[in-house]
This record gives sequence, structure tokens and C-alpha cells, in this order.
Amino acid sequence: MRLLRVELRRLWLRRVTWGGLLLALLIAGLAVLSQISAATPPSEREIAEAEEFYAQELEYWEEHGEEDVAACEESEADDPDPAADYGCDQMEPRLEWFLPTATTFVPAPEMREAGTDGIEPGDGDDPRIAEIQESIWSGWSGIGAAGEYAAAFLMLAFVVGVSFVTAEQSSGALGMWLTFEPRRSRVYWSKAAASAAGTLPLVVVGWLATAGGIYTLHAVFGTVGEVSGEDWAEIAGFSVRLVAAGAACAAIGTALGVLLRHAVAAVGAAAVVLWASVAFAFSFGSAQRWLPTVNLTAWLEGGTRYSVAEDVRDDAGVVTTTWTTEVVSATQGGLYLLAVVAVLTLAALVVFRRKDVS
Amino acid sequence: MPTADGELAIETRGLRKTYRSVRGRRVGVEGLDLQVPVGGVHGFLGPNGSGKTTTIRMLLGLVRPDRGTASIFGHDVPRHLPDVVGRVGAIVESPKFFPAFSARANLRLLADGIGAPRERVDAVIDQVGLSGRAKDRYRTYSLGMKQRLAIAATLLKDPDLLIFDEPTNGLDPAGIHEIRRTMRGLGDQGKTVLVSSHILAEVEQIADTVSIVARGRLVASGSVAELIGGQGGPAVRVGLAADDVAIATSLLTSRGLVVRREDDALLVDGADAATVNRMLGEQGVWAGELTVRRADLESVFLGLTQHEVPGGRDHRGGRRRRKEEARDTTSGAGAASGPGAAVASTTMGEDA
Ligand SMILES: Nc1ncnc2c1ncn2[C@@H]1O[C@H](COP(=O)(O)OP(=O)(O)O)[C@@H](O)[C@H]1O
Ligand SMILES: [Mg+2]
Repeated sequence: MRLLRVELRRLWLRRVTWGGLLLALLIAGLAVLSQISAATPPSEREIAEAEEFYAQELEYWEEHGEEDVAACEESEADDPDPAADYGCDQMEPRLEWFLPTATTFVPAPEMREAGTDGIEPGDGDDPRIAEIQESIWSGWSGIGAAGEYAAAFLMLAFVVGVSFVTAEQSSGALGMWLTFEPRRSRVYWSKAAASAAGTLPLVVVGWLATAGGIYTLHAVFGTVGEVSGEDWAEIAGFSVRLVAAGAACAAIGTALGVLLRHAVAAVGAAAVVLWASVAFAFSFGSAQRWLPTVNLTAWLEGGTRYSVAEDVRDDAGVVTTTWTTEVVSATQGGLYLLAVVAVLTLAALVVFRRKDVS
Repeated sequence: MPTADGELAIETRGLRKTYRSVRGRRVGVEGLDLQVPVGGVHGFLGPNGSGKTTTIRMLLGLVRPDRGTASIFGHDVPRHLPDVVGRVGAIVESPKFFPAFSARANLRLLADGIGAPRERVDAVIDQVGLSGRAKDRYRTYSLGMKQRLAIAATLLKDPDLLIFDEPTNGLDPAGIHEIRRTMRGLGDQGKTVLVSSHILAEVEQIADTVSIVARGRLVASGSVAELIGGQGGPAVRVGLAADDVAIATSLLTSRGLVVRREDDALLVDGADAATVNRMLGEQGVWAGELTVRRADLESVFLGLTQHEVPGGRDHRGGRRRRKEEARDTTSGAGAASGPGAAVASTTMGEDA
């Protein structure tokens, strides 16, 4: 594929691409920096302070504990719900409530139990909810923090993919190129493929620097925690899926660049879609299943969930809102991405084949 | 005007292109029939907005015609353009390379794209005299250097057909001269050069054949000699003292010459200056001024493009000459003194 090679070379002759790579490294650096305080184990002074505070609380408890428990039990008895549990038997202060904890590289076991995020999967619920809750992407962790930055590398790939075609359209260099290679379909495929494959270094380097940097940070501070073989497999899987998503984002960028012609329009359109699907997520209700952000997350993290609110008015006219949790699988997320790439690419190909170039 | 074996470098039939936008439709080319013979320089003339660039874009597959057919060396374009594109080098309007890349990087991409050897890149850069600046960003180039780089790019292919769209726009006289020489040289090598221009003087000197378009249609075509010939032979302009005009008129008319009055001068058609001078002198009438006026392509051009006849094929349309449409030249000297002067004398305004 001679054309593909040429386009790849052109991609990496561009300053935008190198700038993107630099930016990816910068973002990775920021990610590592921002994780420093979380990864640092508690210092001796912090521990001493915590112990001192615990001692004070214990002292108070010994004096007033019985009154507090009695008051608690009284309120519990007053509650119209007979099943109400105010936890009055667990009011005695414990040292671990006060000890500062370090975030580990992968979530600590107690962070991964279903329900720690406030959502208790009920009996009838999808078993995948618990699975998602127990994955390394839920709860606080170093790798989770790294994962938050992954989207930034996808955006970089997208923007580089957009400008790869809009720049040559506005400079007119595309016209010159087409007088050398007039087979438009081939030209388009070579551009789309070069942008998908050529921007991978941005995603790979950015992600490796972020995840590797944060891991190193935890290793240095001795707060890696226990990383199981399964965890490593999940991290590797995430990385592979991220790279695939990067290629998809770049291809989408190239297609939008051809369809909308101007970089500002293409980037703006993508930004509006993403912003709307985040800002108004809940108003989409069950249709959240089709939001791009939801599907992208599902693909990356091996499945995701979203909540749908349902208002029920009872006979007395009291409205209760019940939240149900729905799951989007990684498979759906992947197919969704693939479909978006396919539809936009085909549309762009048709436009590119037919359009007048000046 | 096909060559002996009938081959045409370019042929279009009923080519039509309408640009559509939110503001409406604009006809770019309106049923153009163009024939460019193989070999030599062919001028593609027309005022601004007459559809020259649009035609060239359609030939190169950059713009899709609404109707009509076009072929290059007998290959239908744009359908079979890939078969013939290697034989065509073209610069449409101003050269457009990647502005942030160096000249060499730009040409290397193009060379790699068509599978030309890398050594060709430095060779063609050298050929157009840009070796010293090959590493500079294209954006930093002067207009003349951009044109030269564009020519270098077309030479990467070693094409048989070269298309230059207004190649001297914005160049200084030296640059214009250089481009003209290059085009003439390519024509002399047996290549076909199509050069579009709204400046007649630019093409007149180097073109073997010309096509003149106005408002998207062909209004005249043929060899330069044919087109000028259609305007009648040379005339002699005789400047006289006011008293002598009447005498001279009867004198020359009596000798069978066709004489027209033009202010204080007479225009004598189809005679040479020496004969006219002798006839008058023998009778004691002395001309104060004697100039040979040759019909030139410019008058044809102006006549055709300003008084365009609907249908566009009536070559006689140029007959209605106006005074300023003919250019006085001293006997023998065919061109204006310098390229700059020529440009200034014939630049035309928007036609559309
Ligand atoms: N991209 C375009 N969109 C709309 N109209 C155009 C476009 N390009 C050219 N035209 C119009 O088509 C006509 C022919 O233009 P053009 O081919 O550039 O003429 P020329 O090259 O002879 O000066 C003009 O009226 C011009 O305004
Ligand atoms: Mg033009």
C-alpha cells in the first residue's frame, strides 16, 4: 500500500501530530502528578494525629456512649418502618475510622464489594451489575485514576484525525494530490487508514506513560496493593480496547473532517455531542443505552451501568422515585463504536468521491 | 484541427458545469467543445470568470461535470483518468503544496505517491533552480519560487501533456519571461502544453494554436495565423496634414486601393508601406507619419469576448472592431516592448 505509506509519512511530518504526542506525554505527567498525594502512604505524624483523635473520641464514648446508644435506639423504635436499622450497636469508635488510608494501584478488596458505591444489586437485578461493581474500574485506585485520563488520548487521536484532512482541504494541497492520484476511493481509504493507524502512538504512549507512571508511583510509595493475575489481564484487556478505540476515534475524526470540511466544525460537533450526552444523560432515561459516552465506557471498561429514574405515584398521591440500574455490555459498546465508524466512514467516502475539489 | 493521425491531446464535447450553492446556481462552463492537438503550445484564452479553470478542473477530475464528455489522449475522463494521469502534469490556479513542509518533503510525498524514484526529486528541484532553498518551508517561498516548484512537481512524472492555469499571475517580468520560455521549450520538445490566460499577449507569442472562450463557451479556435487572418491583412496608416487628406484619398483610391478615413489619417488596407509612400510622393503629397497596422490576436480576442455572439461559434463575431482594439506596431516588431507592458495593455475585467 504505497498510498498508505505516503499518508503515514505525511501524518508524522505534521507538527500537529508531534504536538499531539507531546500533549499526550504532558497529560500523562499531569495524571501522575495528580496521583502523588493519593498514592502516598499516611505519614507517622498523620497516624499519630489519627490515634490522638481516636483516643479523644474513645474518651467521649466511655463517658456518653450509653446515652447516645439509648437516644439512637429510641429514634429507631419511633421509625414507622419496622425494618429500620439505625446501626445503634456499631456506634463505638474504631481506630480504622480515623486512620488515613493510601489509595492502592488496584482497588483494595473492601472497595470492590458490591454495594460500596451505594447501589445494592437486588435479587432480580442483572448479575452483571455486581460484576461491574467488583471490577478494578470501580472505586478509588491508581489504575482507576489512570483510566479517567484515557479519554484524553482518544480525544487527541480524534483531533489529529480531523486536522489530517481538514488542513489539506483548506490549503488546497488535496487538489494537487488528486492530480497525482485521482482514484478518490483509494485516496480516502489511505487517509482513513493512516489516521487510524498513525495516531496509535499518541494513545499507546500516552496510556503507557500514564498507567506506567502511576504504577511506578505506587511502587515507590509501597502502595501497589495486591494485584492479581486477573487484574493484570483486565489492565491488558483495557489497554487493547483503548488502542482499538483510539483507531476508531481517529477514523471518526477523519470522516467528520471530510463531511464537515472545517476542523472547527468537526471538533465542535463532536464536543457538542459528547457534552450533551454527559450533561443531559439522565434525561435520556432508558435511551442512555445509546449514548456515545456510555457505549465508549462500556467498551473500555468491559461493561458499564447507568441508572434510570422512575416516578411512581401511589394512591395517596405521594410520588416516589425509584432508580433502576441497567447494564451495557462491552460487546454492545464495541459494536456501537464499529457502527459509528462504519456509517461515518461510508458517508465520508461517498462525499469524498463526489465532491468538487478546488 | 486534429493532427495527421487525428489524435487530440484534449477533447471536450458539450462540457457543462453549474456550481450550486445556497446563494443559487452559477454556470461555470456552458457546453464547451474544446480540441487541443497533440504537440505544441495551445493557448486557452478567455476573460476572468469565463470557465477556464473550471474546464481544467473537470479535465483533471477535480470537478464533476454536469453534462458532456471529455477525454485526454483518447481516454475518457474522469472515468479513465487513472490510466492517463501519469502523462499529465498540471498546475491549477496558484500552486498548492503543504505549506508547512519543505519543498523537498512536498515533492518526496508526491514522488512516493506515484512511485517515482527519490532521486528524481532532487533532480527536478535542481532543474528549476531551487536547490538552495529545497529545505525551506513552502510557506516561505515567493510566488515565483512556488510556480517553479509546481513546475518541478509536474516534471516528476515526465508528462506528455502539461496544463498551466494562468501560470504568470502575479509574477514579475523576469518570472513571466522564464515561465514563457519554459512552456515554449516544452512545446518544442514535442510535448503538449495547454496554457490558460486572460492575458492575450502572454499567449500570443508562444502559442501555436489557441481556443478562445467567453462565458463558458468556445467562441473561436485555430492557429494564431488563422485567427488573425480572419481579421483581414495588414493596413497602412498614413498621417497627413489636414489639407492633404482629400487629395491623398482620391489619389490612392484611383490606384485601386481601399482607403478609410481615420481622423487626420488614412487607413489603407492590403498595401505595403513602401508602395503607399511612393504613390503619394510621386504626386508631391508627403505623409507626416506612416505606420503598418497589423491585426493581432488581441483585437480578435477583444472582439470575440466582448461582443460575444450567442451560440458562440461565429468567428465573424470579431469583425466589429473598434478603434482601440487594434494595436499599432512598427513594421516587423510583433510584440510589445516588455512583458510588463504587454500585461498592462490587455488585462481584462470580470466578464461574468
Ligand atoms: N467553487 C465555485 N463555486 C461557485 N462558483 C464558481 C466556483 N468556481 C468558479 N465559479 C464560477 O464559475 C465561473 C467560471 O470560473 P472559472 O472557471 O474560475 O473562470 P476562469 O478560470 O476562466 O477565470 C465564474 O463565474 C466563477 O465565479
Ligand atoms: Mg481561472
